[in-house]
Amino acid sequence: MFYIHAISSITHQNSFRSEDVNENLEPISEESVLKSPDYKEYISPVALRRLSPVLRMGIAAAKECEKEVGKPFDAISVGTALGCLTDTEKFLKVINTVEGDVLSPTSFIQSTHNTIAGQISLDLGNHSYNMTHTQNNLSFEMALIDGMLCCKEGAENVLVGTADEAIEFLNSLKPSIFLAESNLTSGATFMAISPVKKASSVAVLDCSTHFGTVDLKQEIEIFLAKNDLGLATISRIFTNTDIDLVGEKILYEDFSGLYFSSAAFGTHMAHDWLQKNPNKYALVVNTGCSKNTGLILLKNDQA
Amino acid sequence: MISSIGKNVEETYATLLTEKSAIQQGKKKHTERFKVGEIHSSNAELMQTFGLKTVGSRTALLGMIAAKEAFAGHEFRSDVRTGLISGTSVGGMDVSEEEYKTEYNGEKSNPVMYLHHPSGTTTEQIATELGLTGFVNTISTACSSAANAIMMGARMIRTGQLDRVIVGGTDCMTNFTISGFRSLMIFDTDFCRPFDESRKGLNLGEGAGFLVIESAESMKKTNKQALAKLSGWSNASDAFHQTASSPEGFGAVLAMRKALQVANLQPEEIDYINAHGTATPNNDLSESKAFLTVFDGKVPAFSSTKAYTGHTLAACGGIEAVIALLSIQHRTLFPNLNHVTPIEETGLTPVKTVQENVDIQHVLSNSFGFGGNNSTLIISKI
Repeated sequence: MFYIHAISSITHQNSFRSEDVNENLEPISEESVLKSPDYKEYISPVALRRLSPVLRMGIAAAKECEKEVGKPFDAISVGTALGCLTDTEKFLKVINTVEGDVLSPTSFIQSTHNTIAGQISLDLGNHSYNMTHTQNNLSFEMALIDGMLCCKEGAENVLVGTADEAIEFLNSLKPSIFLAESNLTSGATFMAISPVKKASSVAVLDCSTHFGTVDLKQEIEIFLAKNDLGLATISRIFTNTDIDLVGEKILYEDFSGLYFSSAAFGTHMAHDWLQKNPNKYALVVNTGCSKNTGLILLKNDQA
Repeated sequence: MISSIGKNVEETYATLLTEKSAIQQGKKKHTERFKVGEIHSSNAELMQTFGLKTVGSRTALLGMIAAKEAFAGHEFRSDVRTGLISGTSVGGMDVSEEEYKTEYNGEKSNPVMYLHHPSGTTTEQIATELGLTGFVNTISTACSSAANAIMMGARMIRTGQLDRVIVGGTDCMTNFTISGFRSLMIFDTDFCRPFDESRKGLNLGEGAGFLVIESAESMKKTNKQALAKLSGWSNASDAFHQTASSPEGFGAVLAMRKALQVANLQPEEIDYINAHGTATPNNDLSESKAFLTVFDGKVPAFSSTKAYTGHTLAACGGIEAVIALLSIQHRTLFPNLNHVTPIEETGLTPVKTVQENVDIQHVLSNSFGFGGNNSTLIISKI
């Protein structure tokens, strides 16, 4: 079991430093905006000026987790579906407009996907394992699988998280590419996981991903069976699609909005719900885009 | 593998023996001002030559070519869980930058083309071409991406989550990356000279390198003979600067030491190092110092093969893992081209000519990326 000792989200909800993100959730609407915390608490004013939203969110959520666990991470595993879009677009503009040989490198440097994890390691002065996964809607699950691997290899305090930012340009592509009605949203969720049980007893039991899903229900049954469980034992399913399954279902995307690593916020919702429900199981089902499925099984292991 | 030095492993080996670099003045609009290691085939030509059925970005096409070559002779079966983990830094940027430019110039663009953009999609396109479903992942840690993909594959196998996994990386040359490295002013306008006192910077390249790694247990089922053993791996963070390496190579030292630990080897057991060796003043000095620290002054034979291929960014860890395999298989050390004068501060001289009949038990391969991302793989003779 991989116990969650800290979890922190910056989203369009009042989720940052919230005791229970499930309280006061508002359905995402056209007016929803990213609820940014006061970043000055986490990032120096000089750095703040050059950091894009995805970097700000990632660093602040990661630092909040470190503050809560009170010790340095043994490994850092980050997921991001689309990476640092603000800086990517900025640099695309630069190369299309600036003539001559002198280009400012800042946006290029900050455009690579691993700027988030790299900047976290820099800010925390952390020399440990540092990984960045980018697998479309499964980016969070991939970071989590890696974090769990680190625990299996002996790490006791692993930072796992995701961050994705919406930019105006992405919304402009919406009619041609995305089926979503609302605007795309931004969000970051970071957590500290550990094989060691401490104050918190909410844990991730297993995580699985699949490219090329044919039968979702069967896939879920196989995944649960692998963990000696059946659908009847799951008290609540947090999903981004209205799947044909018996049981209580919460559509997390109604509250995260659409960004491709939003399963991380679904997991945060499941975590906070489990905290109030000892010895119950929750399942996060993410079938975001194409034929990709992510499944995350959690339990409040209080007994 | 595919790169400017060959469109498959056999051609690569032949080129390596000639001691001739494939780096030359660029032939495309965005490369013509630079010395680069480019593959002289258009996307359409690549698709035709290699019989590719899946449409994708150039990054994906190169990945398909190398991954298919690596997987040739293997087959999918239900009792062998097979995954794909690929490293890329640009993903489908080659498509996006063209589309963005079109739109920027006020011409009619086709937004659907941006569906090629995500790095994860690049890997899904490779998986589709291979006919692979199941575990498909992408790692993006700049120039250490492929090395990290290989490491992730090994760890998935060791913990029993996969039986076999196709691992490596791919990156094509885009205007985005060329302009990016230009903005950092780390290009050499001349041919790059890794580990030379006169080195001024890197030459870019493009390509893809993939390997199939499989557990011993699974190999009994599939009746395959391994070419070598992936015995050590590690990633550590330099946590010094977003792009530059620390002067003493702190992260590099950590990565090499941890990889030796995983492989249960002593530094003196390493016979050859395929260095990251980009030929930037910063990397080569920092990496040299890290060698001196890890090997306590007794640095084994080493070379950077980037003077042959150019720096293929996210793909280099895959390409150089294949070159390490070739070294072991053919008992041959491949040279660090263009080297004349050792770096004054460290005095280290790399392998300068092809050396044959060398007994090579263990090869250490380094890949370092932006964000202080340092990775080391150790490949051993069976």
